[in-house]
Amino acid sequence: MDVGAIDRSATLGTGPLRSADPRSKLVALALVLGAVLVSWNALVLASFTIALLAASVWGRLPVGLAIRLAAYPAVFALVFAFASAPDAMTASVIVLKATTAALGAVTVVLSTPYPQVFAPLQRITPGIVGDAMLMTYRSLFILLEKFSNLLRAARLRAGLAGKNPVRSARVVFSALGGLMLYAVDLAQRDYDIMRVRGYEGRLRTTPAGSTNRLADVTILVGSLVMLATSVVWRSAATTLNPYSWLAPLPALAALGLTFALRRG
Amino acid sequence: MSHLHIPDGVLPVWLWVAGWVATLAAVTVAGRVAERVDVRRRVPLLAVVSALMLVAMSSEIVPIAYHINLTVVGGVLLGPALSIIASFIVEVVLALLGHGGITVLGLNTLIIAGEMVLGWALFRGLVNLAGRSRVRLIAFVATVVTLAVTTTALVGIVAIGGSGATARESGALDPATLRFDNPFSRGVFSLGLFSGGEDHGHAEREQHTVEAVEDEQGPDETGLSVGRFAAVIYTLGPIGWAIEALLTAWLLGYVAQVRPGLIWGGHWQRSGGRMPGDEGTVN
Repeated sequence: MDVGAIDRSATLGTGPLRSADPRSKLVALALVLGAVLVSWNALVLASFTIALLAASVWGRLPVGLAIRLAAYPAVFALVFAFASAPDAMTASVIVLKATTAALGAVTVVLSTPYPQVFAPLQRITPGIVGDAMLMTYRSLFILLEKFSNLLRAARLRAGLAGKNPVRSARVVFSALGGLMLYAVDLAQRDYDIMRVRGYEGRLRTTPAGSTNRLADVTILVGSLVMLATSVVWRSAATTLNPYSWLAPLPALAALGLTFALRRG
Repeated sequence: MSHLHIPDGVLPVWLWVAGWVATLAAVTVAGRVAERVDVRRRVPLLAVVSALMLVAMSSEIVPIAYHINLTVVGGVLLGPALSIIASFIVEVVLALLGHGGITVLGLNTLIIAGEMVLGWALFRGLVNLAGRSRVRLIAFVATVVTLAVTTTALVGIVAIGGSGATARESGALDPATLRFDNPFSRGVFSLGLFSGGEDHGHAEREQHTVEAVEDEQGPDETGLSVGRFAAVIYTLGPIGWAIEALLTAWLLGYVAQVRPGLIWGGHWQRSGGRMPGDEGTVN
């Protein structure tokens, strides 16, 4: 998990998705999620996946990273589908649901700084939860980098050898042990710093507004279209299912267009 | 096998909504309990333990679709109230990174929180019975028992909600009658992609085929196979349990040697408001 790359994408860079209001993006994510919940049509779900990829290209997000992140739950969904689905079609629907929902979430995270993503949750949860959520994400950066350095150091000393799994496991376990002690020291240091800064049990997050109203409207309309497509297709499945192959075509056209515009 | 890697939209709405309601209630109660003690001290520890669990969960052991969770380690370090909050935070971050479903976040939190609290209780109970000198063995046993219990809870959730998931009126494409019609000239071409390419072009015959398939299979066979799911989980799961238990035993044994205050201090002593591990420091 390259959290550094995720954060760089969210905070640096430009593009219409990054300049949109974080609340619009969260509402759009909820609508996309609704579309995923309603639809059991593999081709309709595939069209949503393609549309989200088009949104990533349009928003100038790192598409490769988005695909890699969305592929991670697909592996688990494959196991679940293999273990429980009655046929290949249902299995493909299960995997597509996982991938589409993950891609929706990843699109938001790749275009929004994490304090803005957590801000709405911070308002409805007890103070300790919201504050710990913000600090967890920050600590995650530090610990992942530290863990990566520990493993790299072990590899350079030939401690991680593929031919000897027991030895490799011991090295990884040692690295995690060291990381745990480092994490506790980090917590102590954080506490000291927060006390000096006058922390009284609440970290404040200022909500960011939109600098691109057109982007807000576009993502909200786009996600509404996805939800409406999902609802209509499910309501009139008997009539519409023979034409399901048409559903991915507009999404593919949008993907092609956004690629062309990005290159141009 | 601590949390559900079930995609959004597979479990019925009532089940995941109930999971969300129970989770928000549990997190609110745990938050109020935790805030009675010095919050400023607890927030950093809660954050780094949550981050540590996330680091562990970010590495998947691909052949068995398992990842380390460090839930028992987290439970022992944090105690029950903070464990509930940590599990919620971990699941929120995972869901945002696309790692877990957003609708199943509530159920995931309940399972992880259950794992952390049960792990903490078993570890504590076994230490009281067997003594502090057998930390590694106790941690190993506590982890295996905890993971076995929560895996059974996971299978139970799928059994409650998943067995009829795809049997609902869902509008799914039917592999037996899959067609690719031209909207401007209905029925120009059709393919049976999953049934060997037979011609299923006519609506009347399609309806007949659907009825025949339903008669042949029965409605229940279109749902998720809980038995097969349980068989796969209980086959692959123990490998993951063993890895997790070994790691937990090693970690807690290591910490008990080099920084015993982390395990035996804090919520074990319930005094002084000091964070575990800093008993020797001057405030």
